[in-house]
Amino acid sequence: MPATDYQASFLGRISIRRNQVIAMDGNHEQELQDLELFSKHVSERFAELLSSPDDIPFDALLSISWLRKLLDFFLCCEAEFKGILMMGNDPSQISKPPLDRLIPEFLDRSVKALDVCNAVTNGLESVRHYQKLAEIVVSALEQKPIGDGQSRRAKKALTSLMSAMNVDDKECSAAKATERSWSFSRRGVSSKDRVPEHFRSVSNQVAKNWSAAKQIQAMTNNLVPPRGAEGSGLASPVYTMSVIMVFVMWALVAAIPCQERNGLSAIHFPAPKQLNWAQSIIGLHEKIGEEWKKKEKKGTAGLLDEMQKMEKLGNILMDFTDSFQFHGDITDQKAEEAAARAAELAETCRRMEEGLLPLQMQIREVFHRIVKTRTELLNALDQVGKSSPPLL
Amino acid sequence: MELPENLNKDSNGYESAEKIILRWDSTASEDARERMIFETDRQEADLYLQAVDEIQRSLSNVSISTSSNAGKNANAVDDQSKVNTTIQIAMARLEDEFRNILITHSSALETDSLFDPSSSSISTPSHHELEEDDTLSNDDSSHHDLLQLQLQHCESSDSSTYRSTSSIREVDLMPSEAICDLQAIAMRMISSGYLRECIQVYGSVRKSAIDSSFRKLGIEKLSIGDVQRLEWEALESKIRRWIRAAKVCVRILFASEKKLCEQIFECVGTDIDDACFMETVKGPAIQLFNFAEAISISRRSPEKLFKILDLHDALMDLLPDIEAVFDSKSSDSIRVQAAEILSRLAEAARGILSEFESAVLREPSRVPVPGGTIHPLTRYVMNYISLISDYKQTLIELIISKPSTGSRYSGDQTTPDMEFAELEGKTPLALHLIWIIVVLQFNLDGKSKHYRDASLAHLFIMNNVHYIVQKVKGSPELREMIGDDYLRKLTGKFRQAATSYQRATWVSVLYCLRDEGLHVSGSFSSGVSKSALRERFKTFNAMFEEVHRTQATWLIPDTQLREELRISISEKLIPAYRSFLGRFRSHIESGRHPENYIKYSVEDLETAVLDFFEGYPVSQHLRKRSQ
Repeated sequence: MPATDYQASFLGRISIRRNQVIAMDGNHEQELQDLELFSKHVSERFAELLSSPDDIPFDALLSISWLRKLLDFFLCCEAEFKGILMMGNDPSQISKPPLDRLIPEFLDRSVKALDVCNAVTNGLESVRHYQKLAEIVVSALEQKPIGDGQSRRAKKALTSLMSAMNVDDKECSAAKATERSWSFSRRGVSSKDRVPEHFRSVSNQVAKNWSAAKQIQAMTNNLVPPRGAEGSGLASPVYTMSVIMVFVMWALVAAIPCQERNGLSAIHFPAPKQLNWAQSIIGLHEKIGEEWKKKEKKGTAGLLDEMQKMEKLGNILMDFTDSFQFHGDITDQKAEEAAARAAELAETCRRMEEGLLPLQMQIREVFHRIVKTRTELLNALDQVGKSSPPLL
Repeated sequence: MELPENLNKDSNGYESAEKIILRWDSTASEDARERMIFETDRQEADLYLQAVDEIQRSLSNVSISTSSNAGKNANAVDDQSKVNTTIQIAMARLEDEFRNILITHSSALETDSLFDPSSSSISTPSHHELEEDDTLSNDDSSHHDLLQLQLQHCESSDSSTYRSTSSIREVDLMPSEAICDLQAIAMRMISSGYLRECIQVYGSVRKSAIDSSFRKLGIEKLSIGDVQRLEWEALESKIRRWIRAAKVCVRILFASEKKLCEQIFECVGTDIDDACFMETVKGPAIQLFNFAEAISISRRSPEKLFKILDLHDALMDLLPDIEAVFDSKSSDSIRVQAAEILSRLAEAARGILSEFESAVLREPSRVPVPGGTIHPLTRYVMNYISLISDYKQTLIELIISKPSTGSRYSGDQTTPDMEFAELEGKTPLALHLIWIIVVLQFNLDGKSKHYRDASLAHLFIMNNVHYIVQKVKGSPELREMIGDDYLRKLTGKFRQAATSYQRATWVSVLYCLRDEGLHVSGSFSSGVSKSALRERFKTFNAMFEEVHRTQATWLIPDTQLREELRISISEKLIPAYRSFLGRFRSHIESGRHPENYIKYSVEDLETAVLDFFEGYPVSQHLRKRSQ
C-alpha cells in the first residue's frame, strides 16, 4: 500500500475515533451511570425486603411495617426513575419508538395502579374493623379473673371477627355485588333470618364489577423486557419501573382484603431471572405466591401478617371461650394461656393502631406520586404534539 | 358472709332486676328473641333500663367490696362474676335493641324535597354549551335563546318544594323519641364499658342508610379507569349530577348525621360522637370525593375546561362547609383530600388553557375553506374565548402566569411573538386571551397561503379577522380584557386585507380602462388606435367576466362588510368604466360588430357587482340582463 493511502486511512481512523469520543460526552456517560445506579438500588432494596427475617415479628413478610418499607422503597425507586426520565436531553425521545408505545402502556398501568391504591385503602378500612372487634375481645379478656360474662362477651366479638374475616374474603372471591340491602320494615322476622349485622364489614366503595386480580393481570399486559438495542435507552428503566409497580400492587392486594382476588397467585411475573435487579422481586413473588396458595383453600381475608396472627389467636381464644361456656371450670393453666394469647392479640391490635393510619397515608402518597408522574408524562407528550386529539 | 350492707338492703331490688334481665336473654328463650323491648311499650322499656341501672349499681358496689376484701372472699368473687354475666346479657340485649331502633328509623334521605333542581341551572355560565354557529346571523340569537330557556327553567321549578342547598342545613333523621331511647341505651352501654360495641352497631347501620341515600342521589361507584374511558359528554352529565349531589351530601346528609351523633351521645362527650360520626361517614365521604378526584386527573383537552371550572367552583364553594362538618382531628384526611382535589382542578384548568393555545397554533387543516369564508377554527376559538370571558371571575384567580410566547429574536418561524410592552397592566388572563387571538391569526395566515388565488387569500383574512373583531365587540367582558388598543390593531388588519384584496383583483382589471397606449401620435381625428381599443374592451370583458364568475362564489358572511366592499369596488370600477365608455364608445360603434366589444352598460356592471361575494354561482347571462 502506498504510504499516502496508509496515512490517509490511519488518519481517517483516528478522526472517526475522535468523533466517537466526542459523541460519548458527559451527558451520555451520566445517563448510563444513572441507569446503572437505578438498577443497583432496585436490586439492593428488594434484597433487603426478601431477607427480612421472619423471626423478628416486627418486620415479618407482609406485616404492616414490611408493607410500609415496601412502599417507601417504591417511592425511592419512583423518584430515581422520574429523574432519569425527565432529565433526558431530548424531550421528543418519548414520542419515538420504542417509547412511543411503551410510555402510553406505562401510563395505562399507572391508572390501574391508582385504582388498586383506592381499593387497598378501602380494604384497610376492613382491617380497621377487625382491629376494633379484636379490641373488644382483648378488653373482655383483660379482666382477671375471667368470668362467664367476659367470656361470653369475648365469644360474641370473636364470632363476629372470625365471620367478618371469612365473609369478607368469600364475598371478595365470589365476585358478587357486596351490597347488602337492609329491610327497614318492622320486625317479624324469625330468628334464623336475623343475621348479626356485624358480620358485614365496612361498606364497599369499589365499583361493582371491579376485580383486583383482573386489574393486576391487565397491568402485566405487554410487559416484556426490552430486547436488544431497545434495552439501551429509556426502555429499560420504564420496564423496570413497571415491574416494580406491578409487584407492589400485587403484594398489597395479597395482603389486604380487596374485592375479587381469585387467581391472584396465577399472575406471572414477566421478569426473566437473568436480570440482576429482578432476582429478589421474583423471590418475593414466589414466597408470597406460595403463602397465598396455602391460604386460598382455607379462605382467609388476606395475608397481612397481623391479620394472620389475629386469625390464629382468634381461633385459640374461640376454643377457650367455648370450653369456658360448655365446661364451666377453667384450670389456672388454661386461664393463664388464654391471658397470654389475649395479650398477644392486644399487641397485634396495638401494632395495627400504630401502623394502619401511616400505611394509609403512605398509600395516598404513592397515589399522588403516580398521578404526578403521569401528568408530567402526558404534558411532555402534548408538547410533542402526539397525544392530544385534534381541535376540530 | 361479709356482703356489704347496701347489697343486702338492695338484694331484693337486685334480684328483681336480675330477673328482668334474664327474662330478656335472647340466647335463652325463643320469646325473648322474637320480641323487642323498645317496640313493646314504654313501660317495658323503662323497666328494663331501670333493671340495667340497678345491676350496674350492684357491680360497682361489689367491686368496692371485693377490692376491699382483697379477693379473699370467694363468694364476693362469685357474686362479681354473676353480676358480670348479668351485665353481659343485658349489654347483648341492649345492643340488639339499639340496632333494632336504628334500623327501624334508618331509611334513605328524602331527596326530592331537599334540593332545588334549578339550583344547578342558574343564570351563570355553567351550562353555556360550546356550540359552533352555523351562520353568523344566528350567533347572538342562539345565545339569547339558550339563556331564555334557562330562565324559564328556573322559574318553573320554583315551586313549593324549593329549598336551597346553599348552606348547611341539618334535618332530623329520626323522631325524637327514638333518639331518646338510643341515648338512654348508649349511656348504659358506655358506662358498662361496652362503648366499642355501641360504636360498631351504630356505624354499620347508619352506613347502610347513607349508602341508600347515595344511591338515591345517583352517586356512582366509578373507578378511575372507568372515568378515563368514558366519553367526555357522558362525564359532563355525571359531573353536573355530582355537583348537585355533593351539595346535598355535605350540607344536609353529613351535617345531619353529625347532629344525630351529637344528640345520641350528648351525655358522654365529644370524642365519642366524633368517633361514631367518622365511623359512619368516612367511607362514603371518600367515595364521594373519589369521583371528583378522578375527573381532576383525567387527560387534558380543551373541551373539558368549562366543566372542570364548574367542578372547581362547586368544590370551592363547598370547602368551608366541608371544613365545618369535618372539623375533628380524625377527619383530617377528608379535608386534606378535598383541598388536594381543588388544587388539582386548578392545575388542570391551567394546563387545559395552555393545551388549547398549543392546539390552536398547531391546528393543521390545510383544506382551504371554500369561498374564503370564516374558518371553523375561527368560530371555535372565538366561541371558546367568549366562554372563557364568562368564567372570568374564576379564571382571573386561577391564571397567574403569562402565556409562553415566542421570542421576538428567536427567529423561530413556527411561533408568533407578542410584544408585552404595550400590554402593561393587563391581567395574565387578558394576556392569554390576546395571545390566543395572536396565535389564531398566525395559524390563519398560514392557512391563507393554501389559496391559489391571492385575492381569495386576502378575502379570507379579511373575513376571519373581521369576525374576531365582531365577537370581541359583542362581549363586554371580552372587550374589556382585550382592550381597545388591540381591537384597533385588529380592525386595521382586516381593513388592510380588504385593500390588499382590491389591489390584487382590480388593479389589472382597471388597467384595461387606462388612457395610455390608446392614442396614436399624429393626426387629430383618428387619434385612437381602433385595434388597441378593441383589444382593451375584449380584455376588460373577459377579465371582468372571469372575476365576476369566480368572485360571485366567494363569500363575505357579514352583510355590512359585504356591502362596504362592493361599494368600494363600485366606486373605483363604475366611474372608470363610465368615463372609458364615454370617451371611446363612438370609435367602436363606428366600426363593425360593436356588440362584440361593448358588451356591458354601466348599469350592467352595477348589477353584476351585486352578485359578488354572495357565495353562489350566477349564470353567465349578463348580456341577457342588459337587454
